[in-house]
Amino acid sequence: MLDRNPMKRSPGSRQEQDQQVRTVCQECTVNCGLSAGIKDGRIVDVQGDESHPVSRGRLCARGTAFVQGVTLPERLAAPAIRKKRGAALQPLDDWKSGLDALAEQLRQVKEKNGPDSLLIGCDPEGGLDFQLGALRFASLWGTSQVFQPAGRQAEPWPDGLDSPTAPCSDWLRSGCLFLVEADLAVTHPVAFSWVQEAQRRGAQIVAADARFTATLAKADHALQMKPGQGNLLGLAIAKLVLAEGGLDSKAAEAGFKDAAGWQASFEKMSLDGAEAVLGLSLEKLQHLSRLLAKSGPVTVITGRGLASLPHHRIWLTLATAMGWLGRRGGGWYPVEAGAPSLPVHVDASGAKTEAEGQQGAAPTLAQVKEQGKVKAVISSGNSLSDYLSPFGGLARQLELVVHFGSFPNATWEQASFSFPATLWAERDGLVFSDDRSVQWGGKIVEPPAGCRSGLDFWLELARRFGWEAHFPWVTEDGRADHGAFYAWLLAQNPLTAGLQLDQLRSLEPGARVFWPVAENALPDKIAPHPAPATLASVPEAPAAADYPLALLTAQSGCRSGDASHFWPWTRNLVREDAVQIHPETALLLGIENGDEVLVDTPRGALPARASLSRTVPPSVIASFRGVNGLPALVHKLDQLPDEARNLLKKSTP
Amino acid sequence: MKIAKRHIWLAEASRCMGCFGCEAACKMEHDLPAEPRTIRVIQVGPRGRGDDLAMSFQPTSCCHCDQPACVLACPAGAMQKRADGIVFSDLEKCIGCQTCAVACPFGVPQLNTATGKIAKCDGCRTRVDKGLWPACTLKCPSGALMFGTPTRVVQEIRSQEALKVAKTFAQEEREPV
Repeated sequence: MLDRNPMKRSPGSRQEQDQQVRTVCQECTVNCGLSAGIKDGRIVDVQGDESHPVSRGRLCARGTAFVQGVTLPERLAAPAIRKKRGAALQPLDDWKSGLDALAEQLRQVKEKNGPDSLLIGCDPEGGLDFQLGALRFASLWGTSQVFQPAGRQAEPWPDGLDSPTAPCSDWLRSGCLFLVEADLAVTHPVAFSWVQEAQRRGAQIVAADARFTATLAKADHALQMKPGQGNLLGLAIAKLVLAEGGLDSKAAEAGFKDAAGWQASFEKMSLDGAEAVLGLSLEKLQHLSRLLAKSGPVTVITGRGLASLPHHRIWLTLATAMGWLGRRGGGWYPVEAGAPSLPVHVDASGAKTEAEGQQGAAPTLAQVKEQGKVKAVISSGNSLSDYLSPFGGLARQLELVVHFGSFPNATWEQASFSFPATLWAERDGLVFSDDRSVQWGGKIVEPPAGCRSGLDFWLELARRFGWEAHFPWVTEDGRADHGAFYAWLLAQNPLTAGLQLDQLRSLEPGARVFWPVAENALPDKIAPHPAPATLASVPEAPAAADYPLALLTAQSGCRSGDASHFWPWTRNLVREDAVQIHPETALLLGIENGDEVLVDTPRGALPARASLSRTVPPSVIASFRGVNGLPALVHKLDQLPDEARNLLKKSTP
Repeated sequence: MKIAKRHIWLAEASRCMGCFGCEAACKMEHDLPAEPRTIRVIQVGPRGRGDDLAMSFQPTSCCHCDQPACVLACPAGAMQKRADGIVFSDLEKCIGCQTCAVACPFGVPQLNTATGKIAKCDGCRTRVDKGLWPACTLKCPSGALMFGTPTRVVQEIRSQEALKVAKTFAQEEREPV
């Protein structure tokens, strides 16, 4: 392998500071090393930690600019209550009175409408402790309606997480990196820098996505396919590789419980209709599978959206069957899926909570909306307006909206109660990265006086329902003890049981700890993901005729959580209400760049601003607001939906 | 007389992934509002049709010209060129008249409406004086931005290009893709 010594960088800060705090950035799941300069209790400088093995001193825009959120003048600092709809939120003196009133109202809602009248939305900015606390509280309450961005269920944890993965630095040994619906260049730029480094060292970069993303632009082979079909692409590749004898049969025998049965299932699977479902020709699929078969070791990097879709485990299966897993530079790297399944329902004494076991499978967000039982929402960050209810529906039926966040966002505007939250830089926490490393993210500064962490919120609320025994992690001053909570949590899962918090807190610069800690913690053989009978997905919904376009979520490199919408520097970079439309589609509909348009879906309409771009194919539109995969239609404000429908119909053969 | 060490700042656009890391780093280092953008990543494309699309990103900033028109035009003597090549505006002297903005053939100087003074890349001169890299260059995740003496930067580019050639040979030896 060729090696070279790049130019020596001269890092450091010019700012005067009293103290340097080393921690990890929590804007995304790469979790770069970060070193903050503090003067008089305020952050005066942020630099990348040169000793961190993944980030090597680099930081992306979000890791650099998070300080703007911490110090923003608009930041919420006191709990508030809205006594009547339409009235202004009135600040409260303390959390106690706010939580007392909230508990009373929640109790009434439950008595009147049952446990499924509560829905909890988690935002990454609320923190892992908010999400875990929510799951535990919801389980005691008797519901499983806890959701996270893009409307994914907070439980169950996605499939395949019991598999090992390797740090990005191993990609330098890859023959090929295959990115499926993962726009790392935008969502995880520091991880993408390793993709680029591997590319420079000779690895083939193959990227498949519905939009022509920055990642596709940088790839050696870019494949534009139908949205949301990434896992089916994995099935098609497995079928083609098997058909051409490209399988590493020794690896399959060694890794699978029933290798022969698995192979047989693929022999039966038909590729009829695959071209239409995937939007890729058979020739292209064959070319791709041959390229992957001969370029090993391959690391497959899959986007977070694929985790909640069927057949996600095909990637682990494929990586095992091809002998990529276990070789340096090979394997599977599911993005934003680096936390082990954390059994947060287990009681402090080791018993199960009463509510658990009575619940069936957790419903999807669409099912919850359909049932129409929800009367109260507890939302961290901007969950309610971001992904829970961007198209009305849910919001109209709500009696109680609780906002736990740091900024006066759209959810806050609807809230009956608002509780100010700490940001990650102001709370201690455990950080699980995509590469299965576990790091201790110590706080950089103290939070503003009125702000509390997510665990504090749930702990206080649980106390008001008499469930304090289930939330025993309290310090002497009555606040949440994050150290004790995470230590307890790690001990509950055999995959993380050997991890000691003290050890994580005192790691030498450059050292990292990965889970599972114990050797042999993972089974030798996995149950491979079998092939379905056909790749043709569910028949097209009747809505397809009325809504001929697909609405996707676009991502922006300068935005991550709720705070980023308030960062002053991002204001002129990306319009939040932009909807990307292909120029040919726009021409048909008479839409010009910058026009005010309406994005219409079966769940309601949303005003937006047209942004013409070839990043989306003609049949797709993309918006930054969090709804993915809805059928949609876009039309000008002064145009009837039917008019737009007819114009689009004329163009489709 | 001691001759100041000259540095060059180089943007290798083929590496840039358009993450805005440099823009954020600059804004934080110099405490700038949303506008002006003293370093700016310009997205070019996607252009092309059907399957054949291309998109690139171009980080752009001040060229720190050898004979800067802005320095010649500035009536207040605020815009200056240092011996090490950095062109900067002394904000104590700047009167915000924007003559430099008109004179610059690349439209680099912009008015910072928050201060009423000109904002442009000052090469992170206070950092450079301390022996540190400019903020944008240091934080760039992709390594698209380079900083150093002309000899070092040129050497870096040469070795990168040599690697590209070596990579092509290495691929030719394998079966054609």
